[in-house]
Amino acid sequence: MGRPRAFDEDEAVQAAAGLFAAQGYEGTSVDDLVTGLGVHRGSLYKVFGSKRGLYLAALRRHLDQEVLPVAAALAAAPDPAVLLTRAVAAYDGGPAGGFLLLAAAERAPVDPEVAALVEEGLAALDVAVATVLGAEEPPPGEPADGLAGILGATVLGLRLRARAAGTPPPAEAVVAFAGRLAATLPQPPRRA
Amino acid sequence: MARVSVTDGTLVVEVEGIDKLWALKSRLEIPLANVRGATIDPGMAHESRGIKLLGTHMPGLITAGTFRSHGDRVFWDVKNPAGAIVVELADENYTRLILEVADPRATVRLIEQAKRPA
Repeated sequence: MGRPRAFDEDEAVQAAAGLFAAQGYEGTSVDDLVTGLGVHRGSLYKVFGSKRGLYLAALRRHLDQEVLPVAAALAAAPDPAVLLTRAVAAYDGGPAGGFLLLAAAERAPVDPEVAALVEEGLAALDVAVATVLGAEEPPPGEPADGLAGILGATVLGLRLRARAAGTPPPAEAVVAFAGRLAATLPQPPRRA
Repeated sequence: MARVSVTDGTLVVEVEGIDKLWALKSRLEIPLANVRGATIDPGMAHESRGIKLLGTHMPGLITAGTFRSHGDRVFWDVKNPAGAIVVELADENYTRLILEVADPRATVRLIEQAKRPA
């Protein structure tokens, strides 16, 4: 107690997020973390309590550094086509790209704290989409506007398929789809 | 081998069989509030044990008892590292417990679920 930390906690959490994003929770052993983070096993347990504690910190960091800022920026997109293109390119990206989607599939069903973090990230995307569509933000705790939810799901699906294919989704296909979609949508109200 | 259970907000660790003799301890009771988490960690067995305070360390065979490592008091009861879990504690005599259990996945889940607010 009271001894200075022998390592940079934020750097360690960032490195852990990268490992968890690449290998999943189950696929990342404490050996992997000790090697990848360059910390002593004892320090890792002392600071984070458990592998799960480190995982929650890493997912929290990924939300704060990547997902939520990107979602906030997406809300400023001029139209749904631009929104969709930008979202597919960057949402859940960065050094731990895909971490949120992987957490949603792997850990959220068995860990309520992970489920809450995943929901926070997905809700931010839905709010950004709804804002661009000019819809009212849903009251807290209620499902997003139907159309915003569908567009949000499209973003997630395209990112998942891109991850499976190992290549980014072809931008022209996304733009073409978004353009066709935009043509069917009511024009968003002009915002000052 | 250790048997881990949860009763009335308390984590109970019972050292089984002849390990009791090696560890010189047969039972630990820890309030769940002082349990920070549990992790499957077979690789822990490759770490230095530190200094033996009480118990037995026969490399490759058994580590059982109380050890001091980097200022931490650590309780070990491990013969086969494949079943090792690490239980991190706060405000307890021990900093952490390193236990061999029959089903590491089920034991870690038991501890995590027990700590979860209902």
